[in-house]
Amino acid sequence: MKSNAIVSNKKKAVGFLREWGLILAIILITIVATIIRPAFLSWANMLNILRAYSTIGIASFGMAYAVIGGGMDLSIGSTISLTAVVTMLIVNGATVGTVTPASTALLVLLVGILIGATIGAINGAIIAAVNGKLAESFIITYAMQIVVGAVAQAIVKGHFQAAQYRAGLFKQFGIGFTPVIFMLTTAIIMQYVLVKTKYGRSLYFLGSSMGVAKMSGLKVKKIRFLTHVICGMCAGLAGVIVVARVGSASVLQGQNYELDALVCVAIGGTSLDGGNGSIMRTLLGVMVIGFMMTALNILGVQSNAQLIVRGAIIVLAVALDVLNKSMKLKEVAQ
Amino acid sequence: MRTKHVGIRKFVNEQPVLLLFISFVMILIFVKPTFVSINNIKNVLIDVSIYGVAALAMTIAIITGAFDLSISANFAWGQIFFCFLLNRWGETPGAMVAALVVMLLSCMLVGAFNGFVVVFLKVHAFIATMATGIIVKGISLVFTGGNMISTSNPFIKAMGRGTFLGLSYLTYIFIGFVLLAHYVMKYTRYGRSLYATGGNRKVAELSGVNVKFTRFSIFLILGFASGISGAMFVCLMRAGSVLYGTDLALTCVAATVVGGTPLTGGKGNVLRTVLGILLIYVLYKGLAFLGLQGYYNTMIRGAVLLSVVALDAFMTRKERW
Repeated sequence: MKSNAIVSNKKKAVGFLREWGLILAIILITIVATIIRPAFLSWANMLNILRAYSTIGIASFGMAYAVIGGGMDLSIGSTISLTAVVTMLIVNGATVGTVTPASTALLVLLVGILIGATIGAINGAIIAAVNGKLAESFIITYAMQIVVGAVAQAIVKGHFQAAQYRAGLFKQFGIGFTPVIFMLTTAIIMQYVLVKTKYGRSLYFLGSSMGVAKMSGLKVKKIRFLTHVICGMCAGLAGVIVVARVGSASVLQGQNYELDALVCVAIGGTSLDGGNGSIMRTLLGVMVIGFMMTALNILGVQSNAQLIVRGAIIVLAVALDVLNKSMKLKEVAQ
Repeated sequence: MRTKHVGIRKFVNEQPVLLLFISFVMILIFVKPTFVSINNIKNVLIDVSIYGVAALAMTIAIITGAFDLSISANFAWGQIFFCFLLNRWGETPGAMVAALVVMLLSCMLVGAFNGFVVVFLKVHAFIATMATGIIVKGISLVFTGGNMISTSNPFIKAMGRGTFLGLSYLTYIFIGFVLLAHYVMKYTRYGRSLYATGGNRKVAELSGVNVKFTRFSIFLILGFASGISGAMFVCLMRAGSVLYGTDLALTCVAATVVGGTPLTGGKGNVLRTVLGILLIYVLYKGLAFLGLQGYYNTMIRGAVLLSVVALDAFMTRKERW
């Protein structure tokens, strides 16, 4: 009797952590950072964190789709670099005096998403054609990252580009609340598609078991293709917004984005084996990482050392996920 | 006659990637006959030797059904730590051996961590080793502050420069490891247990193979090999940096697949990988020789890897949907 009670208590604790762990983490990080630097808990700082992580958020949502569908997309870093570089070329070219016309801002938004969609389509077409497993989508998208990165290099010959505009709609994309609104809108749309549409439900099905999904008559290839296109589109959008936010573009702009996105997705509780997860939890994951990295900055941890923290977080998050799953299996067995 | 014909058809069916590469290299040599010079051959062999040792380990890992993306970072760490220890401990033979051993042990420690996470925590090898790679890269960056560490050790210089019968010492080291790997994979109980594990883990376990140990040991081998590759690279460059060898892991995968070892595991051969990495380097050097430098070369490297893996997946996939 007694041991049963302990077990159920343990179960309750684990269940509680599963549901509220992320929010708890955000609160804990905020408390610790605020004690060390009271300025952490200011409106300006909160907005800064949200803005800085809005592009990583958008990229993470696309990555979450790919991961839920049982795949992976490591090419988004270069996609972001390429879109950033092209966006800056167009915007600088169209700038009259110091103002960018509003039409150009909308144009680059479209062009960016289209570039992302194209790269995603190539990824998706190859992976769907060869019916790639996780290992293959890993290597294929990684190779794609090398190719796209080289294309970005070839376009600007490695030069760094600074913004020539001072005002206009495009600048508005990157200041104040706008990037955050972009992120939240993307999150809401993508969550809606994931939960409410047939495509979204099939994505979960596909991620849990591709063979079974195929046998039940789902168009596996089409869904995989579409998923990579959506992932590319998110990266493209992130590439445009990041230029507007930073006011410059280089081929290194998207460096490490795929890692950050993967970390956010994993922290958000999406299993990297596919088949579960949600955009809203990924958004929470982005917040946790944003708060934590900012807190580390405040504590004076350098960016090189932060790399170690990032890697450790991936290992921890994935190992916890595996543990979680085996516990669930035991629960079912009981 | 008939059997020979069947043999050729079988080869075409089973090794399309290899065939593609051989024809590519033939065309290259035909277009630019000056490419085949003694100097070029020697240079290609040196490059092949350095990445080759890691490629052998990667092939063994893929045969066993494992995978390691962290060898790039581990390779860089090996160089950095080796240079650091050489500079710190001096130029006596004992000190140099100690430096090599300590460096190799540190690389194997990384491998052991990988093995622990993959085998005992049951994390997917791709994700676990990618994360370890990030951690090791971070450690190397913190250790060096992002700078290059160079060494002026005369023995290291002699190792990198010296030749015997026209071939670099490094090439002989590589040949030695090739023979060792081939012997182990083909003629020892351990080698056969690796094939069995990669073929079907459950069956291997039931037939008495200690699967956990086998899989764990693979990561130690990978760590060891990336350390050896790192040491050979130091002999050539007399320096170590985080920036050297970031393409190692994927070049090794490409070499394995070009050689004809499928990514699905259980099959393959280390000697084929030697051919694979040789062909890849001849292609890279040939492209540079044709005047494709910088980012165009990078672009083609990526495209080669992409098409090789895609073609391999397409040819070996049994369930066609």
